[in-house]
Amino acid sequence: MRYAKFTPFLFILPMLVGLLVFRLIPIGFSFGISFTSWNIFSPPRWIGFDNYRTLLQSPAFWEVARNTVVFALVFVPVVMGLGLSLALLVNQKLRGSTFFRGVFFMPYITSIVAVALAWKWILATRFGLLNNALMDWFGVQHPPSWLGDPRYALFAVAFVLAWQSAGFQMLLFLAGLQNIDESLKEAAMIDGASRGQVFRFITLPLLSPITFFVLIISLIASSQTFEVTYALTGGGPQRASTTLAFYIYQNAFVHFQMGFASSLAYTLLLFVGGLTLVNFVLRRRWVHYG
Amino acid sequence: MADVRRDARLVQLEIVSAAMGARRRKRLRSLVTNVAVYGSLLVFAFITLFPFFWMLITSFKLPGDVFRLPPNLRPSLLWTETPFANYTQVLFQFDFLRYAGNSLFVATTAATGQLVTCSLAGFAFARMRFPLKNVLFGLLIFTLLVPIEVTIIPEFLLMVRLGWLDTYLPLIVPSLMVGAFGTFLLTEYFKTVPASLEEAATIDGASPFAIYRHIFLPLATPALASLFVIAFITNWNELLRPVLYISDRNLRTLPLGLTTLQGQYESSWTLLMAGSVISILPMILVYLAAQKYIIRGFMSSGIK
Amino acid sequence: MKRRPFIAMLVLVAMVLGLASAQTLRYFSWETNIPEETAALIAEFEAMHPGVSIDFEALPPDQYWPRMSAMAAANNLPDVFYMSSGFIFEWQANGLLANLQSYVDGIDLADYFSGVLATTRFPSPETGDVHAVPINWVGPVLYYNQDAFDEAGLAYPNDDWTWDDFLAAATALTVDKTGNGRIDQWGYWVYGRYAQVEPWIYQNGGRILNEARTRLEVDDAARETLQFLSDLVNVHEVAPRPQEMEGIRQQDVFPLGLAAMWVDGSWNISNNRSIIGDQFTWNIAMIPSGPSSETRIGYTWPDMLAIASGSEHEEIAWKFVEFMTGPGRPAETFLGGTVPFYRPTAESEAWLEPGLQPADKGVVLQLGGLPTRTSFTPNWSEWRGYGAAEGGGMNGELDLVFNGRKALDQAIETFVEYGNQVLSRSYPEP
Repeated sequence: MRYAKFTPFLFILPMLVGLLVFRLIPIGFSFGISFTSWNIFSPPRWIGFDNYRTLLQSPAFWEVARNTVVFALVFVPVVMGLGLSLALLVNQKLRGSTFFRGVFFMPYITSIVAVALAWKWILATRFGLLNNALMDWFGVQHPPSWLGDPRYALFAVAFVLAWQSAGFQMLLFLAGLQNIDESLKEAAMIDGASRGQVFRFITLPLLSPITFFVLIISLIASSQTFEVTYALTGGGPQRASTTLAFYIYQNAFVHFQMGFASSLAYTLLLFVGGLTLVNFVLRRRWVHYG
Repeated sequence: MADVRRDARLVQLEIVSAAMGARRRKRLRSLVTNVAVYGSLLVFAFITLFPFFWMLITSFKLPGDVFRLPPNLRPSLLWTETPFANYTQVLFQFDFLRYAGNSLFVATTAATGQLVTCSLAGFAFARMRFPLKNVLFGLLIFTLLVPIEVTIIPEFLLMVRLGWLDTYLPLIVPSLMVGAFGTFLLTEYFKTVPASLEEAATIDGASPFAIYRHIFLPLATPALASLFVIAFITNWNELLRPVLYISDRNLRTLPLGLTTLQGQYESSWTLLMAGSVISILPMILVYLAAQKYIIRGFMSSGIK
Repeated sequence: MKRRPFIAMLVLVAMVLGLASAQTLRYFSWETNIPEETAALIAEFEAMHPGVSIDFEALPPDQYWPRMSAMAAANNLPDVFYMSSGFIFEWQANGLLANLQSYVDGIDLADYFSGVLATTRFPSPETGDVHAVPINWVGPVLYYNQDAFDEAGLAYPNDDWTWDDFLAAATALTVDKTGNGRIDQWGYWVYGRYAQVEPWIYQNGGRILNEARTRLEVDDAARETLQFLSDLVNVHEVAPRPQEMEGIRQQDVFPLGLAAMWVDGSWNISNNRSIIGDQFTWNIAMIPSGPSSETRIGYTWPDMLAIASGSEHEEIAWKFVEFMTGPGRPAETFLGGTVPFYRPTAESEAWLEPGLQPADKGVVLQLGGLPTRTSFTPNWSEWRGYGAAEGGGMNGELDLVFNGRKALDQAIETFVEYGNQVLSRSYPEP
């Protein structure tokens, strides 16, 4: 489609101005800060690449980076699977689907503090609902400490976050499903296609642009998560459930090492940005546009 | 002859009974499917609602009863003379109605603004060619990757320069102008619209704005409604920015008000949960109102 | 016509005078839980000083510190604000706090718990100038469940208790009440937290910092103490592993009756009251001295009020600080177990609250008369592991020990090395 040369810029003008002033200026500033030592309350001091050198040499950083990758590998597939399943479930012409659409969205708006406290109640080592069930119904003698054992804590956080935000993914998938022409599905059914085939060969390909969007957004969300971590495990035990975003928060607003926190942020950006770029490149292979 | 007729009747009967059996089997199968679907829906519903119930019940507890062992779901305040004490205290002692009004203004303005700016930009990114398009789009996505913790202090210093402290401008304007998430969402959504619609309109002499306004916007109703819900919720829950930018008691937003229920040595959990229940009600309403636009956008059957 | 300039002059003079006397002080605190009491105090002060008005704002610590730091970065600090023991050193070192020594010279320190002033002196805790005034101070004590002691037929803890007495009691108090093979009441509860570990170290004469407080240095007495605490969990099994209590707020373990003894800050009196109610009788005592102890040490630290250096209203700001930290502030505004800096208020019945639990609340006051020792340094939260970073640093390493996942010596080595990396940023190798 051809439009006059200046037309696109008229359409993106408000966003462009905002992007430059309110996003790129602070980002540029904080990128500069990543080369300083800055505790926020006194002037920054230039230290060149020291922050980057320190982080690359620190075992803590590598442990946290590893956690971040594991977290994303668990969280992204789980949350996308859950979100898509929920969307497909409530998109059916069922009695009460309006009600269920509302119910499944609730965790996304329930306050994180309440979510974390309720889940602590479920996951507590002693008196926790889950462990009580394991002991009473399955005869487990020493049920695990889900939040206190370094082997499980990270997965517990990833699972709770996936549970909490699946409603959000559901909403996006649901909007995508509305754009799929019902008549295509009906025609395929008349031609003898099974439900599974319709889903595989019609719904999924037509949904792929939104799936792509949800994938990128979930990836970003997984790299930015810190509220649930904070409220559920505090990143512990030791650093077992600390991911980069929480580590950045700790350094920025608990230790007031803003320079170091910024260098962490730009390392994270390099990593997630790279992954995002790869996804954009690979998009051609599986995303179908109308 | 008679035999033939009888045979024909028999065959007919067989066909009918076979059809009835198939229908019965089909009905049985759909019953099984229905039970399975409702079963899984109910299981999911229970798991998703549990923390909400926990929050609701805690808001009806006496302060000392929140962390009892073994844990219980007994709203102990309901057996006292003042069952709604937590709510009345939060609403009147902490001026929550005003905070809620402020939050409503901020979230509605920012979310509505995002619908306009994101759909305009999304339309351009999805349907037009222009220099630096991929660079600009990349920059936009890139802003989503930088954690707010490291950009918020520079942003604060910028707002000080602009003289925007103690106003709603820092809460509304940046969010309204650059909805990176929303632009990305609408770009992807607009890309799925068949080019034929756009071409037909161009041949009819429609201006770019008219095509955007009269063809693309209506088609995107489900996505726009989703975006509104998400933008509203994001802005409604925003805490770090109000903490930094708002001093004036009368300008406080709800999450900022809720922080006053947490203390250095102690937090009032029952009040905090009552406040949380109040604070999610508007989000539920917005979501419910948006639902009818999200499901089967009225024009979507028009795409062929 | 002629009188006009005269009237104008009068108006101008009145305005200048008005401006001079109309001052607005900006006051920030993290005490969000006493809005009415604070408003009443402010109104009282404003009534005493006509023309002065006070703009008050409160945020909880998680939000308070980012906000204050941002304001400091914008050179826009409030005139008077709360300061914590964990952060004051860096704020002093960066010249953000006004020197209050000349003002403090004007008050009679005999009326105050002047020992806690050490934290406010800079650069030296002994001889430096005061840069903030304590409002209240806190310190860890031994909490014990009196009913559990009675049930076990034990004598209550007293000032002469040794570690052996403590261990014997803890052993007797660790019971499986239901007989299902699981302990229902432990003798004690401890994890790597500063307020639960350091008091034991100091009561054993130990130190975790060198004399100049520039490096971590865990001396023998401190090692001995950490070994004792670790043995309580791993050898004697009279305290649960921290991971066993995961999912329950750490401050609730004692009030819920899961542990019969506990050491933590005096501010927990308030949480204990609200959770225990009248379910059992409890009390507080001094923390037992260890075998290497020579003298009792009070591990106490203050919350303070500071004035921004360069405040345009320093004089009146001081008057306000003096008012808020002195006799003007009633005992009721101090959350249970935080001790007013002004001694007569602390020693009043209103603070001691006879008739309420704990019966011996006065034990807290004894700490104020002892020589103090603390572990606060620049970047303390980072190497100690505190607040939202509690999982890390010394706290995290000790939890590994208490959870039986790491040997004590190894853990000490790790947190000392990490801590010294952190400290070397503020104190580079000479």
